[in-house]
Amino acid sequence: MGVPERQQIQPKRKAKPRWLLHLFPLPALILYTLFVIYPILSAFTYSMYEWKGIARGAFVGLQNFLTLFQVEPFNKLFWNAFGHNVIYFLVEMVVQNGIAFVLAFLIYRKIRGAGFLKAAYFMPRLLSVIVVGFLWKLILNPNYGALNTLLGKLGLEEWAKPWLGDPDTALLAIILVNCWFGIGFAVLIFLAGLQSIPEELIEAARLDGAKGLTMLSRIILPLVMPSLTIMTIFTFIQAFEAFELVYAMQGSMGEPFHSTDTLAVYFYRLAFSGSGGAGDVSIGLGSALAVVLFFIVASVSALSLKAMRKREVQH
Amino acid sequence: MRRSGSHVFVSAMLTVLLVLAGCSGGTNPASPGDGQNGGQTGSPGGSAGGGSSGGGAEQVTLSMHSWRVEDAEGYKKIIQAFEAENPGIKIDFKPFKATEYNTILNTALQSDSGPDVLQLRPYAPGISLAEAGHLEPLDQLPGIQNFSKDVLAAATGKDGKVYGVPLSLNSTQIYYNKRLFEQNGLKEPKSWDELIAVAKTLKDKGIVPFAFGAKEGWLLSLSHGVIAPGAYNGNAFVSKILNGEADFTSPEFVKSIQRAQELIPYFPENFVGLDLNDTRTMFFTEKAAMFINGSFELEGLQKMNPDLPLDFFPMPTDDGKAVLTTWVDGSYAVNAKSKHKQEALKFLEFMASKKFGELFANQFKRISAIPGVVTSDPLVNKMAELSASSSTPYLMVVHFAEGNPTTKQTLENSLQGMYLNKLTPEQVSQEVQKSAAIWFPRFKK
Repeated sequence: MGVPERQQIQPKRKAKPRWLLHLFPLPALILYTLFVIYPILSAFTYSMYEWKGIARGAFVGLQNFLTLFQVEPFNKLFWNAFGHNVIYFLVEMVVQNGIAFVLAFLIYRKIRGAGFLKAAYFMPRLLSVIVVGFLWKLILNPNYGALNTLLGKLGLEEWAKPWLGDPDTALLAIILVNCWFGIGFAVLIFLAGLQSIPEELIEAARLDGAKGLTMLSRIILPLVMPSLTIMTIFTFIQAFEAFELVYAMQGSMGEPFHSTDTLAVYFYRLAFSGSGGAGDVSIGLGSALAVVLFFIVASVSALSLKAMRKREVQH
Repeated sequence: MRRSGSHVFVSAMLTVLLVLAGCSGGTNPASPGDGQNGGQTGSPGGSAGGGSSGGGAEQVTLSMHSWRVEDAEGYKKIIQAFEAENPGIKIDFKPFKATEYNTILNTALQSDSGPDVLQLRPYAPGISLAEAGHLEPLDQLPGIQNFSKDVLAAATGKDGKVYGVPLSLNSTQIYYNKRLFEQNGLKEPKSWDELIAVAKTLKDKGIVPFAFGAKEGWLLSLSHGVIAPGAYNGNAFVSKILNGEADFTSPEFVKSIQRAQELIPYFPENFVGLDLNDTRTMFFTEKAAMFINGSFELEGLQKMNPDLPLDFFPMPTDDGKAVLTTWVDGSYAVNAKSKHKQEALKFLEFMASKKFGELFANQFKRISAIPGVVTSDPLVNKMAELSASSSTPYLMVVHFAEGNPTTKQTLENSLQGMYLNKLTPEQVSQEVQKSAAIWFPRFKK
């Protein structure tokens, strides 16, 4: 600090010790360990203790995990929520990523207004999830919401439903809102992938007579595989950690009748309890669930990354 | 990103962290033993910490925690009244978000940095703090003898000692719109059949009988709590179930759930998708004639529509009476490790006085837990009178808010299932019984 400027500018050719280099990631590393690694490790330890409220009791080994998978209603709720996460993932893959790919392809082919569209698709992403949830709650309101009003105006009254109150539609409604929210991001990723395909490759393929679907499936798809891989894994992680939108739209009980419960919401309920802070909290069970969730996400992500990398083509 | 270089570092950091985690675990199980430092209450010399050189008496500032952020302004006035009488004591009222209050309070109490005076959740969650040794018993507090035993039960430990001065009562009832009733020649129903007849008349006239939504579970147990005592005749059944002579599969209780189902035709369209906001709006915009909800909605309803001709009726029972479902909504307690216990107790003595009760009830339009308090609002007075003369406990909050998930949450979820045609009333009662049987001592076999 107190060093005069001139001295600093003087070129010093003396070799600096190499270990100093390792200090540069330190600030980021400290934050990362403090807010990511430490909580994960503490969740591991918490999951093996008995808890009375927030006071830690005796070491119980794997008891919490056994409870989670063997005792009613915990096991039922777990598989119920797990199933919803799977649906979440599948629908997002098909709807969000499917539409996003088509949109990205159209923008890539330089349709008119591509720049504007790119920004427009990304717009929802700029809103806070809570705002998105609130907005769609209003739109989907059964009695004065825009959607049912519109259906009424179109003469489709019988299609109108209490979208978020009916267990048959509630989960799908939330997932579709999430697709609306996430589509812009997927478009950007796909577009980046498409644009990184060297022009010469496309030219060469065209000269060889590839066009239309052949071009798409044989040339373009393999070349954008890295973005598809990344997006699939993002979608998987996001689907298995789905919390905010469910919480914003349906509360911490995964209402109605647990039809929108996801593992993360279930975790929240277990560890911090449901409505108004009343009721028992079970940090042990909550942590056990968090650990299970961590393993599901980490292992599946790693495996699928490995599997999908193989199918990628280098250019 | 090149990772190879930092591997050593990562592993070093991880080691450090493991050690840290171990340490923090070690210091955690803090000393439940030193809660009994009974003798330290004599004047706390320099610990008052105030630089404010008062005239003679030493200034003491008591910290006070609550979960009623929305009440901060009102409390200011009440606290001023106390400070005027007790010049040596200042109160620092600090409210926290209701949903985070429990966590904040628990952490503070465990790390010995808790407030002197604290608002205590009613029944099991609050009592658990007393059982952990965090609270000062208040049996000797002047004024505590004025409360009825039912009311004190909200803050009475298993050892029989009282740990909190009850603040207010909540009641749940059926609010109704007087104008809509009069226009259709209707009167307050005196039996279940009359209630159904009233609902039918309203429906025939194109008015939504009940502003009711099934989207939020807690409102389902709340409205069941209003309807049910009519079916099982209030306290007689409550004492039976508490003694283990009856359970949730008893015909009286099943009937109470059937009645909750019987009302479905009189709910608004798409009621399974409506939440509290929707139904409240429906009621104060006079689109619906009745609204099953708590005393805590009163102030809001009157504010949203000051012209609303509002009244309520208690639930008629099958044996010809009428009952109001009530429970205690929080008490105030003293931290057993407070440095200013004398002053804190003095403040609680004030909170147990009729003067406080009147200030409180008028300020917040709530039912004071102190008997005989009269306010300027006739509806609050009516609630207070009924809760003194013919009340029945909100069973799920008062006695069955335990377990994980709680029996109350189980009821809520199952009722939601019933309203979605996924469960029958019998199945609902079985689910509730199953949940209670796990922890309720009388049901354990």
